[in-house]
Amino acid sequence: MSKRIAGVVTLGVAAALALSACGESSGGDGGGADKAAGGSVTLKLVAADYGDGPTADNSGDKFWKGVVDEFQAANPTIKVDVQVINWNDIDTQVATMVQNGQMPDILQTGDYSGFVKDGLLHKVDEVLSPNTQSDLLEKFAEFGKVDGTAYGIPFVSSARALFYNKDLFAKAGISEPPKTWDELKADAEKLKKAGVSQPFGLPLGQEEAQGESFLWFMGNGGGYKDASGAWAIDSAQNVETFTFLKDLHAAGLTTPNPGTKDRKTVWEDFAAGKVGMANGGPMSMPIFEKGGLTNYGVAPIPGKSGPLDTTLGVEDWIMAFNKNGHQEEIKKFFDFFYSSSAVQKISDTYKLLPVTKSGIEKLSTDEKLKPFLDALPNATFYPFTDPKWSEVNSQIKQTIGGAVTGDPAKVLGAIQKVAAAG
Amino acid sequence: MQQTSPLKRAAHALAPLAWIGPAVVLIGVVVVWPVVAMIQSSFLKISRFGVVQGSNGTDNYAKLFEEPDFGGVMARSVIWVVAVVAITVLLSLGLAQLFNQRFPGRRLARWAMIAPWAASVLMTAIIFKWMLDPEVGLLNMLRHDLGLLDALGTADADPLGQASTAMPWLIAVAVFVSLPFTTYALLAGLSTIPAEVYEAAKTDGASRLRTYWSITLPLLRPALTVATLINVMNVFNNFPIIWVMTHGQPGYSTATSTIFMFILKGSDIGESAAMSVVNFGMVIVLVAIFLKVSKWKNEVS
Repeated sequence: MSKRIAGVVTLGVAAALALSACGESSGGDGGGADKAAGGSVTLKLVAADYGDGPTADNSGDKFWKGVVDEFQAANPTIKVDVQVINWNDIDTQVATMVQNGQMPDILQTGDYSGFVKDGLLHKVDEVLSPNTQSDLLEKFAEFGKVDGTAYGIPFVSSARALFYNKDLFAKAGISEPPKTWDELKADAEKLKKAGVSQPFGLPLGQEEAQGESFLWFMGNGGGYKDASGAWAIDSAQNVETFTFLKDLHAAGLTTPNPGTKDRKTVWEDFAAGKVGMANGGPMSMPIFEKGGLTNYGVAPIPGKSGPLDTTLGVEDWIMAFNKNGHQEEIKKFFDFFYSSSAVQKISDTYKLLPVTKSGIEKLSTDEKLKPFLDALPNATFYPFTDPKWSEVNSQIKQTIGGAVTGDPAKVLGAIQKVAAAG
Repeated sequence: MQQTSPLKRAAHALAPLAWIGPAVVLIGVVVVWPVVAMIQSSFLKISRFGVVQGSNGTDNYAKLFEEPDFGGVMARSVIWVVAVVAITVLLSLGLAQLFNQRFPGRRLARWAMIAPWAASVLMTAIIFKWMLDPEVGLLNMLRHDLGLLDALGTADADPLGQASTAMPWLIAVAVFVSLPFTTYALLAGLSTIPAEVYEAAKTDGASRLRTYWSITLPLLRPALTVATLINVMNVFNNFPIIWVMTHGQPGYSTATSTIFMFILKGSDIGESAAMSVVNFGMVIVLVAIFLKVSKWKNEVS
């Protein structure tokens, strides 16, 4: 019983602390330009940790220390203070900084749009030289704009492709990865006959159902929105897509009960040789290799009548806050960053993809990254600039898996209703 | 000189505050304030970055009650609480009786009973999830080896994938982690029953069942009431078991109101706060009903 009470008290205290943090007034203005003696300026950089935590070899602290040391050597009058925060906490911690008026100068995280409305960010033109700007992939930079003005600078990206287990394919007598849905189904049947329990890994559970569904929608010319930008989740193409998946599932060719399976589980099963093929990204490669699977291939994702010429692009952002008056120094840092070896280091260390043309150029010799890099310039993105997206997204994550067991039109219709409401 | 007397009296009157003050402050900060803040936020419009955008009237509640899954979630929460608590109490009554007997290895058995309590609920839930994994779950491999399961990696090997099989497993795990506390509470209750009463019953020639029904149970009632009450609140607010094992999926078909509240938090903080208030009200109602039924006042005080 004491354990329970202790738990309750801990929770209560945590809640009280969180509340008091929120309750504090947001009166204080940003510290102003805190020029230190000797005319040097300190930039505060807050970044998310792509590594496995503060003590890991690939920790964000180590990565940024390397970048900053190099930058400071070239710019002795500018000092950069780095604070790396893990993904779970960064949103709330940054929100607290903003509320307390202790804005960082530079923030690297998953979203920028929330800060634009409050006028907290520098325009990209103010902090990034035209040279660096023109090196960014246009499609990626385009999503950094709010009402036609760019505020978010693409930092890293990721993309998806089809992974297939070459050993299992050989065992089932399949020579090439599938290009169309029909081929995919035929190959899945062969794999099933060869004793593969999950021919196609289909994670439609809470973790990333929105990504897996989107990839399938694209294969049939569908998506979350139509060409005019209106929500079209229950469009005829999308319903057809899920009807296909429903048949695939009914024939026992997918992960059992896809609506409850996370992609991490599917990737681990793929690594263990239980799954014949699955969609994944560069970030899944370390999981496969850790599980002892090296003989896998990467191919474009099959669509209804041919492979996708696009892919799901995901990008993270870096942005500059305008409250501290460090525009010139930030500009120096950004231009340094995008021309340095850091870009290469990110993809080496974290298996994330570059967002610059020169970055893609440098990686183009990597065989396994090639399908991703080829699809990247033409990537498709979640409609995350739509204010409704977060609500729609959480609804998709929770319920879309039901479309492979229930009535696709009904399940997608219910999600569309959430998107179209108010 | 005359002034000191009322001052002294006031100081005297305030003296108890020094002793109960810390507790009052603690309750105020840890219990009362969050409740007030929760009720307040349920009437606010809050952006997903946590910025308050002004009052929202009762819109959060209207939206919550219109959620197509709301009714099912609330009904499931009640079933969840009743099923878990009822099974836990029944099993615990038996276990407590057993542990109250003298038998070789009793000490060891009593210690073993603490294990599910000592382990973190989160860990227990993760271990059960792993044991039920369709490909490599221990229980599934066992079923496969015994010929009860045709093939691993299929829907049959995935009890957590469907509500009809997932709910019983969730309830089983919740019972598993609730048993130790309940059993020990009842065991403590049993040890307070004086041996003379049993001797008297024996002398009167009462049967074992009769003794249990007319002597043990009534005398156990205070312990039983407290144990059940604490279980009701604990189980109703239980989050980790369901979250770890099914995320409330498929769809919302294994979600209770606590899970629903957490999912809502990802999209609409105001609506989630409204759900919290409903949750809070529900616990109070459940507890009130229980106390009424068990005639708490007559028995415990």
